[in-house]
Amino acid sequence: MKFRQSITLTCSALLVIGLAGCASSANKDAMVAANLQTLKKHERSVSVRTAGGAETTAMDSSNIADADLKAAIEESIIQSRLFQSVVQGKDGDYDLAVSIVRLDKPIFGLTFTVDMEATWVLVKQSDKSIVLKKSIQSTSTASFSDAAAAVTRLRLAVERAAKANIEQGLQAISGLTL
Amino acid sequence: MQRFITLIITAIMALSLVGCANRASARVDPSADLKSLKTMHVVKIPNETAGISTLIADDLRRRGYTVSESTEKVSTVDAVVTYVDRWMWDITMYLLELTITIRDAKTEFPMASGNSLHGSLTRKSAPEMVEEVMGNIFNEGKK
Repeated sequence: MKFRQSITLTCSALLVIGLAGCASSANKDAMVAANLQTLKKHERSVSVRTAGGAETTAMDSSNIADADLKAAIEESIIQSRLFQSVVQGKDGDYDLAVSIVRLDKPIFGLTFTVDMEATWVLVKQSDKSIVLKKSIQSTSTASFSDAAAAVTRLRLAVERAAKANIEQGLQAISGLTL
Repeated sequence: MQRFITLIITAIMALSLVGCANRASARVDPSADLKSLKTMHVVKIPNETAGISTLIADDLRRRGYTVSESTEKVSTVDAVVTYVDRWMWDITMYLLELTITIRDAKTEFPMASGNSLHGSLTRKSAPEMVEEVMGNIFNEGKK
């Protein structure tokens, strides 16, 4: 009986450690705002910078890496053709800086709701004038029907919140006259 | 029943083993000048009983700011301060994660924010967490 109990104990510990330790970073492809309906398409080039994100470690829950957020924003711009081109470095007509201020994630639950806030600042490179300065808040949920594993459910909620944030940010830019 | 209790106890023990995550970061908007601010208002989360808002207000007063505190947003100050605290239980309750944001009082645009996360094994008290986050924000502001 004691042997069975210790086996149960060991298996349970391994299971829980496994579940808690396999958090994965938000996937850049899942954060891309595909099929974005933009008001205007700007015949300009843009460079994208991101900050405020964090890498996901095995001991942590899903985070958004700066590089992945940057890639998702760039891909969203390319797919929506919001700008004529996306360039690297400071050679673009405009510089878009997106910084994650807050990423609130639940610890337990069947339905995970994630709140995200990011600042979006668009600067015209020629005269350094700020053409957009906006704080964008987005919320997204993932339920048990989306994924049974909690770590996957949380990652989905994080990705959806980021995608919603990108959609709102690019929609705001598409309303500008550049 | 005994198996169920064993499972719960094991789960708690195992979760405590993964409680050593640490993270501390801060960012200040390049256009923000924290030194130019004189008055701030800390927006207390309603029903928050841990006193985080008071700890933040006291920290700001030590830094020379004139600070008020209530559950209402105020626009007659230079900046408002908001926060999000996440608590976890492991033998006792502890502050797992704290995010503090200093916002423009009129536009609510985040001028600066800081975040600290400490798992169970490296847990810090609420005053220590507030001090760490505020310290990181103002150190970042000096750069």
